[in-house]
Amino acid sequence: MTAITADRLGKTFTTRIRPTGRFSAARSLFRPELRCIEAVKGVSFEVEEGELVAFLGPNGAGKSTTIKMLMGILQPSEGTARVLGLDPTRDRVELSRYVGAVFGQKSQLWFHLPPSDSFRLLGAIYEIDEDDRKWREAELVERFGLAPYMDVPVRKLSLGERIRCELAASLLPSPLVLFLDEPTIGLDIVAKREIRQLLAEAARIDDTTIFLTSHDMGDIEKVCKRAIIIHHGEVVIDESMKALKHRALSLKHVGVRYALPVDLDLPGLSPVKRTTLAASYEVDTRKHSLAEVVRALASRGELEDITIEDEPLENVIASIYATKSGTEAQAFGSQRGETETRTGEVIHE
Amino acid sequence: MKIKDAQAPVARFRGRFKAYARFMTAAFLVNVKATLEYRVNFILQFFGMMLNNAAFAAFWKVLLDRVGKVGGYGFSDVMLLWALVSSSFGLAHIVFGNVRQLGRIIMEGSLDVYLLQPKDVWLNVLASKTIVSAWGDFAYGYIVLAMMTGTELERFALFTALIIPGALIFAATFAAVESLAFLIGNSSALSSALTEFMLSFSLYPEGVYGTGLRWMLYTIVPSGFVAFLPLRVFRSLDWGLVLLLYLVAALYVGLSYGLFNLGLRRYESGNRMDARL
Repeated sequence: MTAITADRLGKTFTTRIRPTGRFSAARSLFRPELRCIEAVKGVSFEVEEGELVAFLGPNGAGKSTTIKMLMGILQPSEGTARVLGLDPTRDRVELSRYVGAVFGQKSQLWFHLPPSDSFRLLGAIYEIDEDDRKWREAELVERFGLAPYMDVPVRKLSLGERIRCELAASLLPSPLVLFLDEPTIGLDIVAKREIRQLLAEAARIDDTTIFLTSHDMGDIEKVCKRAIIIHHGEVVIDESMKALKHRALSLKHVGVRYALPVDLDLPGLSPVKRTTLAASYEVDTRKHSLAEVVRALASRGELEDITIEDEPLENVIASIYATKSGTEAQAFGSQRGETETRTGEVIHE
Repeated sequence: MKIKDAQAPVARFRGRFKAYARFMTAAFLVNVKATLEYRVNFILQFFGMMLNNAAFAAFWKVLLDRVGKVGGYGFSDVMLLWALVSSSFGLAHIVFGNVRQLGRIIMEGSLDVYLLQPKDVWLNVLASKTIVSAWGDFAYGYIVLAMMTGTELERFALFTALIIPGALIFAATFAAVESLAFLIGNSSALSSALTEFMLSFSLYPEGVYGTGLRWMLYTIVPSGFVAFLPLRVFRSLDWGLVLLLYLVAALYVGLSYGLFNLGLRRYESGNRMDARL
């Protein structure tokens, strides 16, 4: 069953242009110049129930605007959205009973009070029966290890502890869909790992559909099974994490260090970095056979060290983010996404 | 997956009413707890506000001892006027503590948290805070009442019945002007002006105002409905007129609610870092 549908969803904001020139500020008071900014342009995708989806994109790509349209906070300028069969704008109140949200930068807990008080109020807000609320709270406290923090005012908790409480609070009404916007922002490695584990566990135990935006590749790799990348307001990539990782795996970083100076240039492959005795190469395995490259390097002279590393997924995504337009990003995505292996150019000494 | 609600209308209304009563009680208790988290601050603000109000009482005592009456009001009338306005104003800010923050919340795009919860946004945002000093205002009214009229139970009941519509009218009026932030971006200057007008006009005898100004006091700056009319009702012990005040309060609340929801369609969310205080 489909949990989320975005059909040619678009959002245009109107902003005032800052006036320049003499008397322009006064003139703009009466005749302001306006500019339309297309934050999201015809975004379409579907998310099935129970899916774990990463919604990625650089700052200003339109991620938060899309999420806010899906949650009914913003009204789309064009297209339609359906979440759990409901129209988020028209049925926002009804939808909010079944949808949870965690914003790394916005808190739903009362800052001066312990989380237990916020949980009680959230129970009233979501109209959870008091006995059910207590039972669910106890279960979340145990699963999230919150017992030591439940009676400590939120202001005295560390960021990691607070986010754990936020996550548990958002799961209190047992949402069918959970939207998360940068949930691990500002957390240390240990806290991030804990949050990712808890998220994956929540999806497994409660069968919650997870829709996550994050700039942290760890969150995406550890939690999500599918990635939708949005750039310049358009969807540029929508594929499984496996396929996305495959893009990264097709590029290997090979580093070598020789005992004596040698010719570091290989036919059709030059080092991306070099010193007298060492060099590193980016090997696209769809163009060059890795075994051949290693053999060619070994035959150049006495090797002191050799390393082969996968390209970090972060680099693949950064390359997509670096493109200037949505079309360019789509073209870049599909170019890098070619899955057929081409090993035509084999290096021979 | 399609979600449907198949409850009968009456049962649904009863269910909604109970749910909102539970929510308002829970929000109120959380707000009280948040206030008491800083006990010294609470005590300072509570007594500070009472002292502030008492200073005005001293001023009126000196003035009225010299001139007898002002605008047809003697000292006890002025004190009861202060009591009604003070308790209504206090109650409005105890229950709807965000009422004078609403414009800022709209302007900064911080309504998101409230929009994501299955409760009416207007009520949710207004009721999610309490103002500490308002407890001082609220209590001051009852203290003055006790000093002026003794401990007669009917007077206390009528006074309580009168400050509830007063509080609703205060909250609705302030919320309406704050809701203009949806249209004009920053409504703080207008809001401050209206607050000043409403309080200043409410705290002086009705007789000092001319006919033209009185029209304003029963419409756009409804001091008449939070101060002068309740005082007349209190003096005459006329319970029948209390109902009229509740109807007027319902009208102001309805208009304010409508204006807010009209503006909500223009709401543009923001990315400010927020905490619920």
